[in-house]
Amino acid sequence: MSYAVEMLGITKRFGGFTALDRVSISVPKGEIFAIVGENGAGKTTLMRVLFGLYGADEGEIRLDGKPVTIRTAEEASRHGIGMVSQHYAIIPELTCLQNLMVGAEGAAWLDLRAAEARAQALAEKMGFSFEWHRLAEGLGPAQSQKLEILKLLWREAEIMILDEPTAMLSPADADALFVNLNRLVAEGKTILLVTHRLPEVLQHCRQVTVLRGGQQIGTRTVSEITASDLAEMIVGKAVSVPNTAGRTVGEPVLTVEGLTVKGDRGDDALTDVSFTVRQGEVLGIAGVDGNGQRELFQSLMGLRPVNSGRMLCEGTEVTGKETAARIACGFRLIAEDRLHEAVIESWSLVENGVLGFQGLPQFQKGREINRIKAEESALAFADRFNTKRASLSQAIGRLSGGNQQRFVVARALAENPKVVLAFQPTRGLDIEATQQVYAGIRETCDAGAAALVVSFDLDELLEQCDRILVLYCGKLFEPSVRSREVIGGLMVGHE
Amino acid sequence: MSSRVRIGILIAVTAGLMLVAASMVGVNVFAILDAMILSSYKDTVRFTVMLQKLTVYTVAGVAVHLALRAGLFNIGVEGQFLMGGLAASVAALSVPGSVGMVLGALAGATAGGLWAWPAGWLKARKGSHEVISTIMLNAIAANLSFYLIAGVLKDPKASTAATANLPAETRIPAVLTHYVGMNALVINGALLVAAIVYVVYYRWLTRSVKGFEVSAVGENPTAARFAGVNSPSVVLRAMVSSGAIAGFAGSLHLMSATGKFVSSFSDGYGYDSLGVALLSGGHPAALIPSAVLFATLGAGTPKVQQLGVPLGLTTVVLALVIVIFAAIRATKGAKTV
Repeated sequence: MSYAVEMLGITKRFGGFTALDRVSISVPKGEIFAIVGENGAGKTTLMRVLFGLYGADEGEIRLDGKPVTIRTAEEASRHGIGMVSQHYAIIPELTCLQNLMVGAEGAAWLDLRAAEARAQALAEKMGFSFEWHRLAEGLGPAQSQKLEILKLLWREAEIMILDEPTAMLSPADADALFVNLNRLVAEGKTILLVTHRLPEVLQHCRQVTVLRGGQQIGTRTVSEITASDLAEMIVGKAVSVPNTAGRTVGEPVLTVEGLTVKGDRGDDALTDVSFTVRQGEVLGIAGVDGNGQRELFQSLMGLRPVNSGRMLCEGTEVTGKETAARIACGFRLIAEDRLHEAVIESWSLVENGVLGFQGLPQFQKGREINRIKAEESALAFADRFNTKRASLSQAIGRLSGGNQQRFVVARALAENPKVVLAFQPTRGLDIEATQQVYAGIRETCDAGAAALVVSFDLDELLEQCDRILVLYCGKLFEPSVRSREVIGGLMVGHE
Repeated sequence: MSSRVRIGILIAVTAGLMLVAASMVGVNVFAILDAMILSSYKDTVRFTVMLQKLTVYTVAGVAVHLALRAGLFNIGVEGQFLMGGLAASVAALSVPGSVGMVLGALAGATAGGLWAWPAGWLKARKGSHEVISTIMLNAIAANLSFYLIAGVLKDPKASTAATANLPAETRIPAVLTHYVGMNALVINGALLVAAIVYVVYYRWLTRSVKGFEVSAVGENPTAARFAGVNSPSVVLRAMVSSGAIAGFAGSLHLMSATGKFVSSFSDGYGYDSLGVALLSGGHPAALIPSAVLFATLGAGTPKVQQLGVPLGLTTVVLALVIVIFAAIRATKGAKTV
């Protein structure tokens, strides 16, 4: 049998870290081939090797049975390979037609009329419609995606790599996308689909390869497996002993009722989310990245408008309150993107220690910042998780990422927090610091607070949290049993 | 090539170019330097002019600096300074004496703040770039003020477009007048007011809660938002405050130096203040040396012209100083703005 794409024994290392370990896939011409796995499993890395963005350390790539070397994206394009990455490469300042042509104009002088005719022909074949001379800035996610697919057709790609193509799409748009993809494979195109979502694989793909931690778990024909088989392959068997020791929890601290929030692209990022966290409780939010975790935390901190629903802190409504007021109520955020959201790099540890607390009376002396309190706090924050530093007046940007994180976590656990929102709190930390951070969160909760932890590492949540809920496509699910298989299944849309 | 060597070459090339320029106009380069820099300190009249300029540069420099700290580039200081001066002349002429002075200062600050408000609002609510909006507001201010002083605000007794002269009792008095022969060295009270503005601003910026929030927004608006700072509101207030301080500078200049509003009221003070604040590299402590340098070169310019050197040369020198300074800061890895 002849294969359109064969990747044989591909190994890719980043320094001492092996991102891909002898992974092999063989993709027949004219079908949709799925590559699935958790975050960090190596899916995107494998596709980047094929598209020439990364060079493989070992292994061979064959196209139509012939060995090829692909060193750059240009070479990949010449071999008829095209890729649409998770984040679309549409330039908003250009028109739709210009976006389509850019980088593949075909001649030194533009023939816009011929280009438009060709664009229109391609679009009609796919059943798309575009106003070619309108700026691309107004395109929604579904239209942007269609334009990206047309870009591949414009470049006459025979092999198309789609990395999480439905991550930004509504369910209806996602269904429409697969209708189009099926049309393309019927014409003989070959599609490699990277996804987190099992229903897509089961409905639309012929074969699937599962990666976990850079290892190839196996390749299966979709018609021969069930969703449970696939979910188990993705998440593996439970390795850690779940923390099932029943803790005494107290009064509700944070109650969320029917929360619906729009995402950046105007679609619903959270739909009717309700939950309660009680005193002393550490609640884990499991889920694959991009299923609404970000929007949940931002709306809880008052950083994102809420469409409907209520948020209560110890029975008092906080919906509609500004961020500063929530901080005063005891809301604390360990932000996802440390450099952009949590610290000011050029500022000293002392100044960063005040950041977020500047509105609290204990940090003020009249209209000025209480400098004694600021110095004392910075020292306490730095010492709590052993932030290695030259001095407290050192710019925080000069510290390593792990040391910055230690400082940021210590700050979030200070000044009587009631609700601790921790987004990947141990990112960049070693095992010892990870344990210290969770011990710190636990200590804070034992003192009467409640914590919400988002992590993409299910094992970490199983080990550290009292209760786990799953966010999938903006909806919150409660697993029937606390098991890796059930939770892992929910994370990829398998109930 | 190390960065230090490159800066050395830059300075050497600059000095060489200046020597060439000087020899082309046929003047001794030391005579030029003497006139440009030292004349302000040798000649009582020039020293008085230098202090007048220092007054404006200090206050208007604070105005630009405040906006910069909030991440805004307020090119509109020129227009705010003009509107402040004009409003101050109207208010101060209405009531004589110290009451008129206070009214003039209030009117100046209010007018400057109002003139900055549209730019701040557009930036905070609509995301329009403040550079564009303030440049346009400058053009409006320049033409509107001329229209008014040539029309309804014109002193009927004056032959050119100008407001009436402030009576002596509505002008800020000198705190020191020292005669050297026929020439008087005057230190006006406005310089003390400027010093107070600077000290209060310095303390506010480095110590106060609001100053902390403004700096946070300027350094990292997202982190500021996550820390509970209402960024749009801070941006709007910083822009209006910057305009109010610039307008206040205009009222000080009117009530201490010119006494009336004429079409050449500003002499480019607003634009020079951008240089004052930029040269300070963002640190408030460097504002004063920077303002002194601008005032010195500004006051020395007529002397240099008397030597037959074109006016543009002092501007070139200032520009080169800023470029070299920016280069030094850039190689040190600090942010230039």
